[in-house]
Amino acid sequence: MAVPLRIAVLVVLLAPVASRGMEVVPAHRYGLVQFGNRAAAAKVPPVSFDHWSHRARFTCRLCHVDVGFAMTAGQTGISASTNRSGYHCGACHNGKTVLGGKPVFASCSAGVDVDESPSCRRCHEKRDPEKARRDYEALAEKFPRKGQARAVDWEEAEAKGLVRPIDFVEGVSIRRAPLKMDKEISIESSGWMTDVLFSHRKHSVWNGCEVCHPEIYPSTKSGTKKTSMIGISSGESCGVCHTKVAFPIADCERCHVKPVR
Amino acid sequence: MRRGRSWLLAAVLGAGAAFTVGAAQAVLAQGPAAATQDWKKEFEEICAKTQDAMALPMDELKGLVSRCDKLKPRIEKLDESQRKVYSRRLQVCRDLYQFVIESREKG
Repeated sequence: MAVPLRIAVLVVLLAPVASRGMEVVPAHRYGLVQFGNRAAAAKVPPVSFDHWSHRARFTCRLCHVDVGFAMTAGQTGISASTNRSGYHCGACHNGKTVLGGKPVFASCSAGVDVDESPSCRRCHEKRDPEKARRDYEALAEKFPRKGQARAVDWEEAEAKGLVRPIDFVEGVSIRRAPLKMDKEISIESSGWMTDVLFSHRKHSVWNGCEVCHPEIYPSTKSGTKKTSMIGISSGESCGVCHTKVAFPIADCERCHVKPVR
Repeated sequence: MRRGRSWLLAAVLGAGAAFTVGAAQAVLAQGPAAATQDWKKEFEEICAKTQDAMALPMDELKGLVSRCDKLKPRIEKLDESQRKVYSRRLQVCRDLYQFVIESREKG
């Protein structure tokens, strides 16, 4: 059977985009970001931040709303000065906040030589991939794992009470009533995959409302929003998190859960 | 008797004046600190309702957006670290309320 030329061309052109999102990244490397916009000017190595190291303890909302970390790289304006003033990393990494019975080490102490100080190098150091892998495995052995990368299944870990992500930091967060959001949305799949059942409840545990609305999902007339896997693979819509931090889109069946109509 | 009353009146007036001066000094002393924290109280009041945004009536949502717009110039005058963090936090909060308003209007 001959494949029409325009479809063949389309497939060839879109394959790199689609495959980028479908790539299976080793679990210890997934969610790695570097804070380095000001590092060169400050003559310090950039900070390698593994999301998984904080995900077992905190909600996404706490850092991305209350503490003020932007969802887009380079938009936060993080600096040693903001950390020292008790903002950004310094909101918790201030030597006073107690977590698990121990004070959290202070970030960016003034008057310290970054080459000499072991405390600076806890964050400002070239990442050792083997150490990151070992650290990840040490953390992950306590939790259920899932997917092609055998990464921690945070959703199940939370449901089983194995993690209780903190959503409040004294002096930073605002006391509010817990969010009640049980609305589930069925998203019709136009391809060969089964439909998606989107759970607001599962997402709001970690994100509240503000992480997604309106930055990722602006207001639209009901039923008019179209989402494509090409867009998601390119980091739009679900892909903002599900190609970088939350479980990857290569684990198709975790979203496409509804039986074929 | 009359002289005694005068003394009493003078004592009462004196005590009143001393109290007024003391109170004024106390207010002046905490004035700048109170003013600097005033924006934060307003910020917390406005943004404490994001969890309930979907249930709030339209008038209240519009009122919250308006309060965000009024507070913004005050936050822009803060020191650099505070400005970076709270400008963003206020914007996130305002955008959510605006999102709910627009979502309802679009239906």
